[in-house]
Amino acid sequence: MGGVGTLHRGTRPCPPAFDPLRGPIPQAEGEESQHPIALMDFLGFLITQCLNALSQAALLFFLGVGLTLIFGIMRIVNFAHGAFFMLGAYVGYTAVHLTGSFWAALVFAPVAVGLVGAAFELGILRRLYRRDGSAFLMVTFGLTLILGEAIRLVWGVAALEVPSPQSLSGIVFILDEPFPVYRLFLAGAGVVVALAIWQFLERTRLGLLIRATSQNAEMVHALGTDVRLVRSAVFGIGCGLAGIGGVFAAPLVTASLGMAPNAVIDTFVIVIIGGMGSFPGSLIGALLVAFVQVFGTYYFPDLAMAFMYLIMLAVLVVRPGGLLGKEA
Amino acid sequence: MALLELADLTRRFGGLVAVDSVTMQVEPGEVRAVIGPNGAGKSTLFHLVTGVLKPTAGEVRFAGERLTGLPSHRICQRGVSRTFQITALFPEMTARENTQLAAQARHPQRWRPLGGGPVFGTAARYGDAALERLGLMPIADRPAGLLSHGDQRLLEVAMALAQRPRLLLLDEPTQGLSVEETAQAVATLAGLLSDGDLTVLLVEHDMEVVFRLAHKITVLHRGAVIADGPPEMVRADVGVQAAYLGGFA
Amino acid sequence: MPGWRALLLIAVLLAAAPFGLPLYAMTLLTEALILGLFAMSLDLMVGYTRLYSFGHAAAYGLGAYAAGNLLLHTGLPLVFAVLLAALFSGVVAIGVAWVCTLATGVSFSMLTLAFAQLLYAIAFKWTAVTGASDGLAGIPRSPGPFGITIFGSKTGFYYLVLALLIAAYLFCRALVNSPFGAVLRGIRENEPKTQALGFNTRRYKIAVVAIAYALGGLAGALYAPFAGFTNTELLFWLFSGQVLIMVIVGGAGTLVGPILGAAFFLLVQQYLSSYTDSWALFFGAIFIGFVLFAPQGIWGLARRALQPRSGNAV
Repeated sequence: MGGVGTLHRGTRPCPPAFDPLRGPIPQAEGEESQHPIALMDFLGFLITQCLNALSQAALLFFLGVGLTLIFGIMRIVNFAHGAFFMLGAYVGYTAVHLTGSFWAALVFAPVAVGLVGAAFELGILRRLYRRDGSAFLMVTFGLTLILGEAIRLVWGVAALEVPSPQSLSGIVFILDEPFPVYRLFLAGAGVVVALAIWQFLERTRLGLLIRATSQNAEMVHALGTDVRLVRSAVFGIGCGLAGIGGVFAAPLVTASLGMAPNAVIDTFVIVIIGGMGSFPGSLIGALLVAFVQVFGTYYFPDLAMAFMYLIMLAVLVVRPGGLLGKEA
Repeated sequence: MALLELADLTRRFGGLVAVDSVTMQVEPGEVRAVIGPNGAGKSTLFHLVTGVLKPTAGEVRFAGERLTGLPSHRICQRGVSRTFQITALFPEMTARENTQLAAQARHPQRWRPLGGGPVFGTAARYGDAALERLGLMPIADRPAGLLSHGDQRLLEVAMALAQRPRLLLLDEPTQGLSVEETAQAVATLAGLLSDGDLTVLLVEHDMEVVFRLAHKITVLHRGAVIADGPPEMVRADVGVQAAYLGGFA
Repeated sequence: MPGWRALLLIAVLLAAAPFGLPLYAMTLLTEALILGLFAMSLDLMVGYTRLYSFGHAAAYGLGAYAAGNLLLHTGLPLVFAVLLAALFSGVVAIGVAWVCTLATGVSFSMLTLAFAQLLYAIAFKWTAVTGASDGLAGIPRSPGPFGITIFGSKTGFYYLVLALLIAAYLFCRALVNSPFGAVLRGIRENEPKTQALGFNTRRYKIAVVAIAYALGGLAGALYAPFAGFTNTELLFWLFSGQVLIMVIVGGAGTLVGPILGAAFFLLVQQYLSSYTDSWALFFGAIFIGFVLFAPQGIWGLARRALQPRSGNAV
């Protein structure tokens, strides 16, 4: 029935008590952050925080490389990238619960998400290549909303816990500092995926096509390749990468509806720093942002959200116009 | 006193010197053409004068006042209007609305959020006068995006003119025009300039246009001035011939 | 632009509504007007200046929380609290706009989203002011100056909303038809050229964002006493999305279109939500459909249907 507040339906979104991409930071033993006196203590702290940042960077990298790939080929900013990340987390949740295996989810979720992305490109984006840029922005934004609502429908509003695999849930001690095994795994996974993508771009035929298309789509077309297929494939792969990021992130931050906008903002900042369309750039951007976030949040815990905003500000002051200020 | 003075104006992009110590004076009422092979630095020179780019060294003085370092909209308010090499218009507005907005830009109350009858009235007057001078009244109510290329180039000039500038910068006004369109445009411009009330800095590739319209010619090559004087003198200059025939494209 | 007679007719109909419509319909209509105001405010940015904001909920939330606090903790009359809250929203927006207009295009949009997210996060933390995830409740419709209490009643409040909407509409109409509005149109069609003509476009963009936030804040400030409560949903990103949909689907750049879009949105929501829980999803699909096939929105379609074929574009 009609009535007050119908638009908002009185539902409670999950509070961003901790930022979806940041997650909890392993606390050192003891209440306050006591100034480590011994060198070993400080070294331990430094190393664990660096590893923390690396694991964070891995997540950000998954997001950033997908977005930059899509931009490089299609010259569009996929605003829905955060939503695909979120979808990956939720699909991963279901996959884990259905199969009992985190590893299965790691394979299944990105494929599912990638297919959704490719379908979207095929059905909707294709029609817009002749229109001006704002149409892409609107449409990918619309997709974000659709995905957001779809997820709300299927999985509800509460944040969902995704357990990390047994083999990886535990703590190691690095120089007497506790550190979650899962985060180590994540950092390692980031390196592996980065290498894999690099080799893919350099050594495989599709990778070559992708690089060529990003430089000169018409030439590639003239040489006989269906550029449209390359585009669909790239969009699918980019979204799939975002999806796999979501699965990896889920055990750390729980799956929630607030993931999408924060993820897309983070991703955007990374890619601006590293340069739109640049694979090494997304790596650098991810590392930079992750380190600033991790160390910044450690010293100023309440300002976690503000940090992202501040980073964006700094980036835009240095490169005003963001995307458009792409100089040689 | 010269209206526009460039003193050792220089602009570097990394290792490349796009504009190299250019010094020149343009007198009031003069039509000065700036020519040179591609890459000679002509457009960069325009960007420096209009504030789109900041010079690496040197000064721009306009009616005795320093222009160097001012933002482009301030420079425009001082009375320097320009057209662009690639047509820049408001395609969904009519020609009349285009010139009217241009004229509005120089009105002290151009920002008025309410009312504005007087602002629009004055702007319309100047806008229409500019359209008149360029022979564009017949198409005044057509959307700018639907005009012929030749009319669009002229509309750009009309917009600059509607601002009643003290100095008018024309960046390749006949760019992309066919032979007939060029002839028409040149005739219109010649008529416009013969009134003698405008000071013009003109960049052009088409030598016919240059010799028809310009009082004096400055030749740039690789960012530096290699000749400067009346058309006949420049025509005969050996160095200029070498630059055009022997230099890079 | 709709004829004066048509608009007057609609205004009269709306003014007569309380006498004909049942109570629940009146509540819906009031909400539609509030949302219409919100959508119209966004149209100034999106439709007239091509500044796509993905975080306009920030304006709504600022207004709602400001009004909520004023009404709960001070004895300020309803009307003053609402207007003050709107002003607050506009003033904050100047700072926000200053930051966001450092960028253009997608970067601008991202910054608006980031700001809204920041506000959302703050709302959860700043329990004293915002009540955190519980929000503010029991917001009164404080008696007005000289002890008048008509705005306390449903009908009285409705007339307040209607009056403010009409006033805002007239203001926006005058604004877009003014020299300021002409500059906005220039920015929309070709910002570099507008700059080259000598306009300091950044100032105009900051101004229009501040005005849009002030009016959006007015809508939010009206919502607080309307619903009696506020909560963080008002700042949630999906809400920013919904209002953008209202603008585009209604017809951007027309002022009237977005108001129609808001009404359309509410109506469909009412109708669909009794059948299915996934009505918001349909809206996203409708939105994409309009972007693809009818970018002029409902109002644009209606205008084309009603107007005879003429040579000039309107």
